[in-house]
Amino acid sequence: MEALKTKLKQQIIEQLNLEDFSVADIKDDMPLFGEGLGLDSIDALELIVLLENNYNIKLTNPEEGKSVFNSVNSMAEYIVKNRP
Amino acid sequence: MNYITTYCHIALNNCYVNGKLTHSFNSNSIDDFTKEFYKSLILEYPKFHKMDRLAKTAFLGTEVLKKECPEILNYKDDEIAILFSNNNSSALTDVNFQTSYQNGGVPSPSLFVYTLPNILIGEIAIRNKWYGENMFTVAEHFDAEYFVNYCNVLLHKNAAAALCGWLTIDDNKIEAFLFFVTKKDFNELNLPLESKQLIELYTKN
Repeated sequence: MEALKTKLKQQIIEQLNLEDFSVADIKDDMPLFGEGLGLDSIDALELIVLLENNYNIKLTNPEEGKSVFNSVNSMAEYIVKNRP
Repeated sequence: MNYITTYCHIALNNCYVNGKLTHSFNSNSIDDFTKEFYKSLILEYPKFHKMDRLAKTAFLGTEVLKKECPEILNYKDDEIAILFSNNNSSALTDVNFQTSYQNGGVPSPSLFVYTLPNILIGEIAIRNKWYGENMFTVAEHFDAEYFVNYCNVLLHKNAAAALCGWLTIDDNKIEAFLFFVTKKDFNELNLPLESKQLIELYTKN
């Protein structure tokens, strides 16, 4: 699980061009939106693409997005549960 | 009479403001250059890194112009117009966007955002809260007369200043010419807004 979280952080930084952040800056439970990483709506779409391209997971229910993309913890848990 | 209050030229590794070299770098690529340039300005604007090359270049040019002519910041939000032009629209990002899904991948939303060139005007407007008239045109060549005529109309009406720019950005080239037009000659460069004057500035650093 720890390895997955680290990989996920690297992918988030790369996919979202978060040049000012390193893996160490992103805490597992840090909110990805709002006061945490400060991501926006386009970033949310990019996270959906990240799940699809890297983990073959299609997030089809927009209602799910809010809880899935809450933090690296929630994303990692979702990946483990839904990875084919 | 309207004046070209300040102007800048950006090319790979160099930026000239009002004819003087102000920023110089040793980057090996355009992307490294824009990154180094951004860092050198000591700005805290993480959204810069998400922009495409066209928007980054316009953003950087605007920042150096503001530094050289801070009086601009005293105008009201809706008194500053923005006029940009180029000859290849958002072609570079269009191709990158196409590449993002060509081999079975999912189209990138963040690339899609920049598949219109006028998005760079939105980026500058958001950053500076400049909500005056704006226009992005695609033209074959730098058209001094267009800028002069359009600025004169805008400044005759509600605008007090106009940020203008011509950008030549592609896979391996970055060249930008940006300038502020104002009613008052703040920097006393004595550059009246005339086609001949503008062409002269465009063709030299």
